[in-house]
Amino acid sequence: MPVASAAKIALIGSPNSGKSLLFNRLTGLNQKVANFPGITVDIASGQSIDDSSIQYLDFPGVYSLQALSGEELVAVEAFTRALEEDLLDTVICIVDSTRLEKGLIFALQVLETCHRYNKPMLIAANMVDVLDQHSMQFDPQGLAETLKIPVLPISARTGLGLSELAEAIAKANVPPQKFESDIIASDESINHLHAQQLAEQHGPKGDLLINTQTRLDSFFLHSWFGGLSFFVIMYLLFQSIFTWASPVMDAVEAAIQWLAAVVLPIIPAGVATDFASDAIFGGIGAFLVFVPQIFVLTLVVGMLEDSGYLARAAVICHKPLRFFGLTGKSFIPMLSGVACAIPGIYAARTVESTRKRWLTYLAIPLMPCSARLPVYTLIIAAFIPANKALGGLVGWQGLAMFAIYLLGIVCALMVTAIVSRSSAELRTDLPFVLEMPPYRLPSWKPLLRNAWNRCKHFVTKAGKVIFMVTVVIWILGYFPNYGESLGGSWLGTMGQWIEPIFEPIGLDWRYGVAILSSFLAREVFVGTLGTMFGIEGAEENFTSLAQQIQDSGLPLGSGAALLVFFAIALQCVSTLAVLQRETGSWRLPVQLFISYSIFAYVAALTVFNLVELFA
Amino acid sequence: MTLWDLTQGASAKVSSFKSNIQSGYRTRLSELGFHPGEHISCVLSPSLGAPKLYRVNNTVYSLDDSIASLIEVA
Repeated sequence: MPVASAAKIALIGSPNSGKSLLFNRLTGLNQKVANFPGITVDIASGQSIDDSSIQYLDFPGVYSLQALSGEELVAVEAFTRALEEDLLDTVICIVDSTRLEKGLIFALQVLETCHRYNKPMLIAANMVDVLDQHSMQFDPQGLAETLKIPVLPISARTGLGLSELAEAIAKANVPPQKFESDIIASDESINHLHAQQLAEQHGPKGDLLINTQTRLDSFFLHSWFGGLSFFVIMYLLFQSIFTWASPVMDAVEAAIQWLAAVVLPIIPAGVATDFASDAIFGGIGAFLVFVPQIFVLTLVVGMLEDSGYLARAAVICHKPLRFFGLTGKSFIPMLSGVACAIPGIYAARTVESTRKRWLTYLAIPLMPCSARLPVYTLIIAAFIPANKALGGLVGWQGLAMFAIYLLGIVCALMVTAIVSRSSAELRTDLPFVLEMPPYRLPSWKPLLRNAWNRCKHFVTKAGKVIFMVTVVIWILGYFPNYGESLGGSWLGTMGQWIEPIFEPIGLDWRYGVAILSSFLAREVFVGTLGTMFGIEGAEENFTSLAQQIQDSGLPLGSGAALLVFFAIALQCVSTLAVLQRETGSWRLPVQLFISYSIFAYVAALTVFNLVELFA
Repeated sequence: MTLWDLTQGASAKVSSFKSNIQSGYRTRLSELGFHPGEHISCVLSPSLGAPKLYRVNNTVYSLDDSIASLIEVA
């Protein structure tokens, strides 16, 4: 018998069978649901909304109980271990009724396993609403009689058949019998022959769904229209990140400033006020500003996933990315990384191959994220004239910005190309076989829930680490002279210690301190430099700070070196914290931090010497 | 002739797998429907060597050349 009192019901099914959507329906929980194979990564659990004595467990989607990838192995082992240890009461196998044969190949494997472990099992044949829309039918009763287990036609999307499913779960207490048929074949092919026969006997007839899908694929994967629509969609994605999120980001910033104005006068003047002002409202506030951007990006990428377009984008990008050791599935995480590495790292969950996901993690921190933008703007304003060329069509500053963005992307691709070729283990991997999900209109509710959860995860999980590091940086910058001057603080002393490191690229201790503080978050560089140059609100006052930098006699080579350094170095505590959360270890974040710091320094040193040689 | 050689709109029957295919891949492809005797049609063949789209039963998969060229069709 199970160890806990609640009845534990396992949900298992192939990717894209609607399993997670059913889990959401049954539990009211916020499990991520998307129209892209392989979204569920962890085993989610939740209490039934109708019956508190039932607990549902959502196992990651697998194509087979004979695992091929590392993720599948984890999922299959978790499922079989739960059966072995008698932790499950009933197993629900979810199949897509519009593609019954494929679902039944897997369902027959589950049936065989449930028979072996003496566990009741039933089949939930999902997406019958889609069959209804196209006046197609299948025969659940006949299938149930042949398999000798309950088969429930349901729609996780509309809720159709869920009360009947709940009744069947309550009644399920008989383990399935071994499925016998008159088909004689080798072990390897017997399941699909059985599934084929069952689908022919009881499955829906016709291919209307596929024809609609093919027509849309002919457009979205067309040599010209496909490429054009890809760029239009990506342009809209960027617009959403930078334009739609911007007013909300401003609102969050204004709210933090308002709260600071209300709270700070109440706190007694001294260390406490300075701490609240700099570390709480300044430090924590700086990272909360990115929450709306994460929300919008998650929502828009979720829409692309749910509509089925993401799988097509992966097909378009697969060939070029494969040259660099990546896969088409790496595209969206890398693209998200252009706005912010954090949602990019979260989006890498969709790359089911461990090795490709690992390579994607290497690429994301090098993508030119929005936090680099203030630094780039400042340095470019200080060194590049605002003149225009080609009759005013091309601005040199804009060109410089484009070049530095391109440098980040090129570095990301070069790193993955070199690393993937340096190891035989990384060269061989799962082949590219991607199921093309049907096109459908996105469901807003789960998408909004998912975006909200992602933000909550960012604030609660990564926020803890960011807070700790903020406090450490603040203490180092405040003591022992109680914030009188940054130069006299421990951070300032450390800056002078490390001056010999930055001297070869023409930077004095002030830039050293600004770089040190920017390891909290890149944009802190501008604020710190502004404080040291005695300019209030340096983030908004680039022109005067840029003028100060020019007046300080910083060589052109150092400016170029700073740009290159910021394009490569991984100066973002939030990114490191999220990488640690996603990989479950500090190993990769620490390795990346050290190697990208060295890479950034060597590249900056090279650029400094080259520019100084020719300038 | 391999599955990768199939042109857009053409269909063929899977005859066998190349001998150098890993057994795990062969099993998985069979589970997805790419098993000897099954009719496969190439529904879309994008240009520039992008993965092609193949229909097997009521499902469409995208396969790149590294795997589609290991499936023999006739």
